[in-house]
Amino acid sequence: MSPVTVVWSMIAAACLTLAAVHLPVWWRNREARATLAFSVAAICTAAIALCELAMLKAATPADYVMAQRWINLPIALLFVALAGFAHHHLDARLRWLAVTAIALRLVSLVINFTVGESATFLHATSLHSVPLLGEQVAMAVGTRNPWRAVGHAAVLLLMLYFLAASVHAWRQGRRLAAVLVGGSLTFFMAASLTRAVLVSWQGGNAPSTVSLFALGVVAVMAYALSADLLRARQLVVELSEREREADLVADAANLGTWTRDIVRDSVVASKKLRELFGFAPGEPLTGEDLAQRVHADDRAAFRDRLSQAARRRGEYQSEFRLVLPDGQLRWIAALGRVDFDAKGNPMRSRGACIDITARKEAEREMLHLRQDIAHVGRVSVMGQISAALAHEINQPLGAILRNAEAAALFMQHEAPDLLEISAILEDIRKDDQRASAVIDRIRALLRHEEVAMTTLNMRGVLGDVATLLRPDAAARHVALEFGVPADLPAVRGDQVQIQQVLLNLILNGMDSLEGLRDRPRSVTVTARRDGRAIVEVSVSDSGRGIDAGHFDRIFEPFFTTKAKGIGMGLSISRGIIEAHGGRLWAENTAVGATFRFTLPVTG
Amino acid sequence: MAESTVHVVDDDESFLNAMSRLLRASGFLARTYSSAREFLAEPRADEPGCVLVDLHMPDLGGLDLQAALAQAPYPLPVLFLTGHADTTSTVRAMRGGAEDFLEKTAAKELVLDAVRRALERSRREREERSHRDELRARFAAISAREREVLFQVLRGRLNKQIAGDLGIHERTVKVHRKSIMTKLSVRSVAALAQLSQEAGLPAQS
Repeated sequence: MSPVTVVWSMIAAACLTLAAVHLPVWWRNREARATLAFSVAAICTAAIALCELAMLKAATPADYVMAQRWINLPIALLFVALAGFAHHHLDARLRWLAVTAIALRLVSLVINFTVGESATFLHATSLHSVPLLGEQVAMAVGTRNPWRAVGHAAVLLLMLYFLAASVHAWRQGRRLAAVLVGGSLTFFMAASLTRAVLVSWQGGNAPSTVSLFALGVVAVMAYALSADLLRARQLVVELSEREREADLVADAANLGTWTRDIVRDSVVASKKLRELFGFAPGEPLTGEDLAQRVHADDRAAFRDRLSQAARRRGEYQSEFRLVLPDGQLRWIAALGRVDFDAKGNPMRSRGACIDITARKEAEREMLHLRQDIAHVGRVSVMGQISAALAHEINQPLGAILRNAEAAALFMQHEAPDLLEISAILEDIRKDDQRASAVIDRIRALLRHEEVAMTTLNMRGVLGDVATLLRPDAAARHVALEFGVPADLPAVRGDQVQIQQVLLNLILNGMDSLEGLRDRPRSVTVTARRDGRAIVEVSVSDSGRGIDAGHFDRIFEPFFTTKAKGIGMGLSISRGIIEAHGGRLWAENTAVGATFRFTLPVTG
Repeated sequence: MAESTVHVVDDDESFLNAMSRLLRASGFLARTYSSAREFLAEPRADEPGCVLVDLHMPDLGGLDLQAALAQAPYPLPVLFLTGHADTTSTVRAMRGGAEDFLEKTAAKELVLDAVRRALERSRREREERSHRDELRARFAAISAREREVLFQVLRGRLNKQIAGDLGIHERTVKVHRKSIMTKLSVRSVAALAQLSQEAGLPAQS
């Protein structure tokens, strides 16, 4: 066999082999468009090699141009494949260049089959014999097709496209791909163009050797793809390394992680997560298995979070209790994310869980402690006004006693005045109610209960406080005034605690008037709406105001300026208001001091 | 003689009514006032009576009322009532001359006895007051010279000594003494001395 026949057949065989290797890769991973482009390019190169072999071995001009006519088909397809490869592999820009080049190439293909004998010859008159690899091969001469320029223009444009792609890849830092892939593609186009100019336009003498160049390009492409494979393998290694790292971090942080395939409802859970939820290692899990471990009271909220995340394409966060198989309770904080497929359907959810039982217990203990302190504060406040309160209760009790005694005496009269006696009985009833109302209010304040956040009407709250403090204010000759607009919006808070704060501030105000005779003695409580979402309550006294040096310290625990104070009132009050999401602060006014606090409006 | 009145002053209407009922049922004449100001604003003649006042009231309290009443021409005994007796206000009230200090829930007998005692004291004070006034009126009839003679007599001096001191005749002294005895309607020097003491006459002018 002649060397040309051997070499060109081998080119075709090699290319077909490469295509056979890569095409199944693309088949299994349709995303790998570069692999498809490569496979097509390899098949085209094989076809080109066979057509070219026919040209080189042609016996007549007619055989030559027939082969030449058919070679243009795989060449056109090769152009498309190369442009596609450059697009996917080099992330090439200026797509219009590629599109125009391919369009011109297709026009040239049409010309190839319609005008003259091929895109190159209108009419091939004879065959020259030229040497190649030590033997004589055919090369046609005749009238050239004037439309061959269209095909050459396509080559030029594609070359520019590849050049631009190389430059772009270079600038992006992918220098190896730029030089190797972009460079070889550009070189292939430049060589084709040079040959076209020399042979087709200058009448030079050279046999057709497209296959050789195409093989070079295919080889470079194969190398580039195998580099991708190597890189993929390296990524796999790195990924598993990262995974191990992530596992280590998760373990160190006591994080349990899980991934749930939503379609198949199967859950892959880390060892730690199984430990947290009380599942044995290796036991198959579903989302429902996890949900069943959640405390019945929290389960609805838990599912709600998950389904919300699935609907709104978001992350979710939740805290819930688990009931372990042995009945133990465990608090869990969970963070997760839902992944969606291309159509937007939830596909996978994954998350991390951490045991926050200790934190929750500490929080609960803190809450209890705060409630205890607040309670002590209330008891202390009540101690301060106990004398006045005893007075307040004895008032109706005294009236009842006097009425009963009077009635007993009236009954001894010869003709008892029954109208008078029935009036007395009615008064006794009213006074009894009055006494129990006072006792109820005191008991409500001293009750030691969980904080109950409810909707509070400040008018009502201040009314109760006024009733509790009026006797004390009267005994101390302090004018206690309240100004609350009727349209004040309701606030959110714990009634007992807010009353406690008010009692504290008002009693402080009254204390500040102790021993002052040179001015009107008054404590004024007002409330107003501040903006949309806040109600501001202020307690103003007509005392001497706060010493400039004390402003920073009055809210500190155990700071007091009173002989008998323990210095907890303001500290507790501030704690209460801040737990309600408000602020408590003090300022001096023209006549005395004003304490202000804010509470959020309900809603 | 005018009827004794118990003035009850309390801002608590209910207690005010109950107290006045008990007083009426027990045979007293009671008048009620809802504040110290209302009581003080009322013009009062010199009649026997007492004041039952709540210690703790807004504006003027019981102690203020007591202080104001002490300045009045016809003071009345003050009885304090309080819902709850604390030491400080008790001490202050008693120091101010309170007749008594009672809790509102105190036993009826305690309250009524206190009222009776107060009224008794009021009557006594009023009688003493009117007796003294009458004596003062009698002494007022004595002339300046007679008064000088009276002081000397009260100091136990003889007519001769008095005449010497005042530079008048001994017989004139006798005339003055007789006139004094007649005007004050006493017969003996001993009675004269007692009367002068009752009238609160200073031993020396």
